[in-house]
Order: sequence, then C-alpha cells, then structure tokens
Amino acid sequence: MKGALDRFLRDRGLAGTSRPATIVGGASFAYVFGTVVTFLIAVEAVTGIALAAFYAPSATDAWASVAYVQDQAQLGWLVRGLHYHGASAIVIVTSLHLVQTALYGAYRKPRELVWWLGILLMLLLLAWAVTGFVLRWDQAGFWANKVEVGIAAATPVIGDAIRKVALGGNDYGNLTLTRFYALHVMILPVLVGALIGAHIALARKLGPTPLGDRVQPSAPRWPEQTLRNAIAIAVALALLLAYVISVHGADLAAPADPSQAYDARPLWYFRALFELRQLAGSAEKAAALIAPAIIIGVLAALPLVDRGPSRAPHRRLPYLGGLAGLLAVLGGLTLLSLTSDARDEELAKRVDKADQRAVLARKLARDNGVPATGAADVFFTSPMAKGRSLFATRCKGCHDANSKDRKGPIIAPGHGNRAWIEGMLKNPDDDAYWGRTKLSRTEGSMKPFSEMKSPDLEDVIELLYAESGATDVAATKRDRGQAVFETACSDCHAREDGQAGASAPGLAGLNSRDYYLSFVSNPKSALHMGRDKSQMPRFDRELTLLERDALAEYLVWLRTATAKDLAALDPY
Amino acid sequence: MADEDRRKFLKVATCAIGGGVGLAIAGPSLVLLADPAGKVTVTGPTAPLDLGPAEQFRAGAEPRRVDVVAPVIKDAWTSARNVLLGAAWVRRTAPDTLMALSAVCPHLGCAVGWDAAAGNFLCPCHDSRFSPTGQKLTGPSERGMDELPLQVVDGRLQLSWVRFKLGQTTREPA
Repeated sequence: MKGALDRFLRDRGLAGTSRPATIVGGASFAYVFGTVVTFLIAVEAVTGIALAAFYAPSATDAWASVAYVQDQAQLGWLVRGLHYHGASAIVIVTSLHLVQTALYGAYRKPRELVWWLGILLMLLLLAWAVTGFVLRWDQAGFWANKVEVGIAAATPVIGDAIRKVALGGNDYGNLTLTRFYALHVMILPVLVGALIGAHIALARKLGPTPLGDRVQPSAPRWPEQTLRNAIAIAVALALLLAYVISVHGADLAAPADPSQAYDARPLWYFRALFELRQLAGSAEKAAALIAPAIIIGVLAALPLVDRGPSRAPHRRLPYLGGLAGLLAVLGGLTLLSLTSDARDEELAKRVDKADQRAVLARKLARDNGVPATGAADVFFTSPMAKGRSLFATRCKGCHDANSKDRKGPIIAPGHGNRAWIEGMLKNPDDDAYWGRTKLSRTEGSMKPFSEMKSPDLEDVIELLYAESGATDVAATKRDRGQAVFETACSDCHAREDGQAGASAPGLAGLNSRDYYLSFVSNPKSALHMGRDKSQMPRFDRELTLLERDALAEYLVWLRTATAKDLAALDPY
Repeated sequence: MADEDRRKFLKVATCAIGGGVGLAIAGPSLVLLADPAGKVTVTGPTAPLDLGPAEQFRAGAEPRRVDVVAPVIKDAWTSARNVLLGAAWVRRTAPDTLMALSAVCPHLGCAVGWDAAAGNFLCPCHDSRFSPTGQKLTGPSERGMDELPLQVVDGRLQLSWVRFKLGQTTREPA
C-alpha cells in the first residue's frame, strides 16, 4: 500500500526528488517558538470554526449567543476558553520567538525580510485579538473597543474616516459587529495565513541561525527538530488547557450597555500602552499613536544597524541591551498598571458591582432566554423587574420601612392583604400606616375602628379585600360586609366606581391594579386623597403609562408576596 | 544502526505526540459542534393556545382561518413573545362540535386556502383539493388535511398546535 502510494507520487515528481531537509548546526529547542505560534494559530482556527457555528454577529443577539456557548452548550466554555486564552498564549510565545531571534542575531543580513515580515505579522496578530474582543458585545469588549477606536480616530487627517469605516457608520450597532466579524474571521485569517506562509518559506530557505560563530554539525530536520517542536507544542497545549480549565473558560461581563458606565480595561498585552496614556496626561492621544510607532521603528531598524562581523550575543550588547530596555519598559508599564488597579479600592467596588451584574445577566439568560429586543433587556425577564426597579428609584424614599425620610405608609410584602387592611382599620394613624403623612396631622384624618367587634370587622375586611380582585374571597362574608360598610364607612367613603366619598377617598377597586395605576398617576385627585391632604407627587407627569402600570403590577404582586419571596429575587 | 533505531523511535514519538495534540484540540470543538443535535433548540407552545370565545364559530358558516400565535417561543438563546407559528381552519360541524384543520398542506407544507366558489380547500402550490372536513379529493397530496386537537374551556376555544411529517400517507407528529 505504502509502496504503491510512493510509486504514484514519485512517478509524478511529487516525492523522493528533493534531498531531506537538514538543520544547519543541529536541532535545538531554541527553534521551536515559531512552530508553536503556528500551532496556536491552528488552535484558534479549529476552536474559531466551532464558535462561528454558534455566534450571531448582531447587536441584539451577539452577547446572548456568546453566553449560550459559555453557559449552556456542552464544552462551550472549554472551546471558548481555548480560543480566548489561546490568543494570550500567541502573544507570549511570539514574544519568546522575537527574543530568541534577536538573541541569536537571526534578524541580521540575509534574514532582514523574515524579520520585517515577523514584525508585520505581530501587528496583525494584535489586530486580530482586538477585532475578536469586541465580538462578545459585553461591557468589557464594548468599552475597550470604544477606547481603541477613539485612539484610532485621533490619527491626523484620516482619523474620522477610520472611525466611520471601523464602526460601519456613525455609531455602534449591527454594522459594527458584522464588520469586525468579517475582519476577524475572513480578512485577517487570509492575510495572516498568507504572510505566515511567506515568513516560513523564507525562513526555511535561509535555514536557522545557530548561536554564536562556531560551526556545528548539521542534523536532519525530520525527526530531530520535528520531535522537539512536537514536545514544545504538547507542553504549550498542556499549559493552556490547564489554565483554561482552572478559570473555567473565559470571562463574560454583562451585556453591552452604553448607558451603564464601565471601567474599560484593554486586553492585558495592551496594558503598557494603557498605562503610558495615563502617565501622558493631556498628551495621551499623541502618546497612544507615537509610542507604538517608536517600538515598531526600533524593531525594524535592528537589522540595519546591527551589521558587525560577529553574531555572538556578547559582541552585540548595545543592540540587545536596547531591545532588553524596550521590553523592560513595556513590562514595567504593564506591572505599574496592574498594581495601581489592584490598589484602587474604589475601582474594586465598581468591579465587584459589575461582576454581580454579569452573574445576574448570565443566570437570567440561562433561565429565561434573552428577549428578542436585545441582550440588555435580559434584566427585565426577572419577575417584576421593571416595577421593582422603579419602586427602588422612585418610591423607596417615602415608603420603605428602612428609609430615614419616610413620609408615607410602609409598602412591604403583604401590602393590601387582610392583615394589612385590619391594621389600617384599627389604627390608621399608626406609624406604619398614615402616621407620618400630612393627613394624620389634620382634622380630616380617619378615626380608628379599634372597638369594632369580631364578625363585623372580619366581614368589612373581606368586603374591602374583595375590591382588589383577589380570587380567594369568602363570598358570604363579603356580602355581609356591605351592611357593615353602610353603617360604619359610607358617611365618608364610597364604593361605587369612579365615586369619591363625601369627605374621604373612593374605595372602588381598592388595591387592584387599576386602582394603583389611578392612585400613582394622580394621588391628589378628588377620587383619592384630594388636593390638600397628600404630599405624594403626581406620577402621570413623571412616568410613562407603561411604567406606572409596571409599578401597579408590582404592588399587586406584593400583596401575596412574603419577605422571603422578595429577598429571593435579584437586586432589581 | 543504533542511530537508525533512535531516529525510528523519535519518528514514532513525534507522530504519537502529534496525534494526541490533534485529538485534544479537535475533540472539544467536535463535542461543541454536536451539542444542538441532542437538544430541543426551538421550543413549541407548552399549553393549548387560546382562540377566543367558541361561540364566534357559528353552525353552517364557512371555515374560518385563525392565526396560531404562541405566547413565548425560546429559540436557542432568544425568548420571543407572540410568535406566529402558522394557521388553522376552524369550523362548527355540528351544533356542539368544532373542528380545526391545520393549514399546512400535508403534501409539501404550503398554506392551504379555502376556495369559496368550489366550497372546498385548495393548496395553491400543487392544486391538491380537500373536502370541507379535510378529506383528500384530488391532487398529489398523500393524505387528507391534518386535524388539530380542540377543546372548549369556560366557553373559550383552545387549540393544540402540532406539526406533522409531510409527504406520507400516515399521520405522524414531526
């Protein structure tokens, strides 16, 4: 079989014609880095194809599809983790490749072109990472991209054009994602693939550069060098896998939300530039553009200036020292940025809050799915989310038991149930009821019914409770309650639809959704508290109808809720 | 000879490492790609769908087309509300009997319409005709129209939406 295949290939000049490749100066572990980078890019390709089978590049769906892979698809976290942290591994191994090349003097004539191609490739790999980071469309990727595009937009003359082309128009949206997606999975792979092909072909043609000037015996590439490459690849993969498993894939922040501030941080390998911008102060935009140009310039110039007779590292100390200095500055800036973040306690608090939002968003996405209106609306899939968030922002100050400035009745779980009505009847001016209102200090305040006897009290409670539309009403009690109401309440109150009482609020539909909507909309209406008896603002001028209805729905929900139910819900 | 043996061992070792590495990378990606195959990625309605008061369908009237709208459909990561799933033809066949026929043609899935002039159902794609009770009359369809389960709860008509396999004589849920 093997013989037949060999013969087939040889007949066509495809095998056995060229001499086996040799490694001048012998195989070495120093030569493995380029191969490891190529392997890691292959890892990106394989995992990237699997991820592309799930990813949706649209502003409404992108985050949700990434969260689906991370939290719901089998081994999705592992594949995504390999893809994300694989990019970091590429940056690390590429740096080692660069250092080895410089140390051995492999950039020197005649290998300048290989070196320059390598620098170009390094820049493209970084661009590849940037285009990938935004695709997750979470707070981290979204805000980091805003900063990156902002820097690019500061380029003289063409800056604005770059911004518009990158974003696909005037602002972030669907076209931003489709563009970065096309760059990330089509344009950059083809470009990098072609340049790596050229880089490897040239490097192979010129052969490796042994350390120092002494001539060493050669060895066949296969299997001597190949085995070393394979071992290095296995080690790199083992380290990558161990790391990805230890952090369970890659992080994912809450969905991108332009209205939610976020402490944007770049990918760790851009930390040096990030710190430089901070240090540059008002000159930050210039620093962000000039620093990379200087780094690229220094690297590109190395083969042009390092032209001495010897390749030995100790005879090229000025150049290697310069390169070491450059790397030390980059490393130092990176450390500086990380440590100053680590020391910032206010930042830690904000990061903690953002992390909680991320956990909540991902839990809700897993449990309820993400609304078709967009991933940021996932928060509203939580029960009563809208009503609860409105209550927390608009009502809590005057109605929460723990509020220092409470001015109205406490609104808490059980609000409007039988026990609540009973407490209200027995002592309307109790601290938990109208005790803190303007009304309680006036003549118009309701008199307590503490002396009312048991069956009458229960019957009128049932009557008022039935107004809410609750389904667990005892009909006989309720009907008996009408007579009690006539004797005890109807002098001041009314129970007919839309009717105010003679001197007190109308009670039709008391504590029902319609009632709450009407009350919240205009508590000062004659139907409810009347113009001079209430300090509560009119919310029909502050909230939309849908918002007021969400509040009314929440208040109805509170009637049957317990404190435990409320605590079990997320902080919205 | 010793050198040749060594090289042979190195070659086997290289291939073994290469195979292991390849497997470690391709494995998780293939598992991920296979994930949706074993899942209900797009949910259907879990409860019967409300079509409104049963009395709106009068005895002797022509079949009426009703949209079948699911309150919530989960599609992988998305949860969409009020999703139009299809249509059904509903008719009162006797004073206390209602009948619903799926508007999905059992032949190849086109939308079957009511031909008022002929007094029967017509699929516009391949001209299959069905009687008012859904029996196959003419055309290429392998079977009659598919009846959908109906029930009346508190005077309201409720329909259970089912999709059937197309292009076969037997009626099997898809």
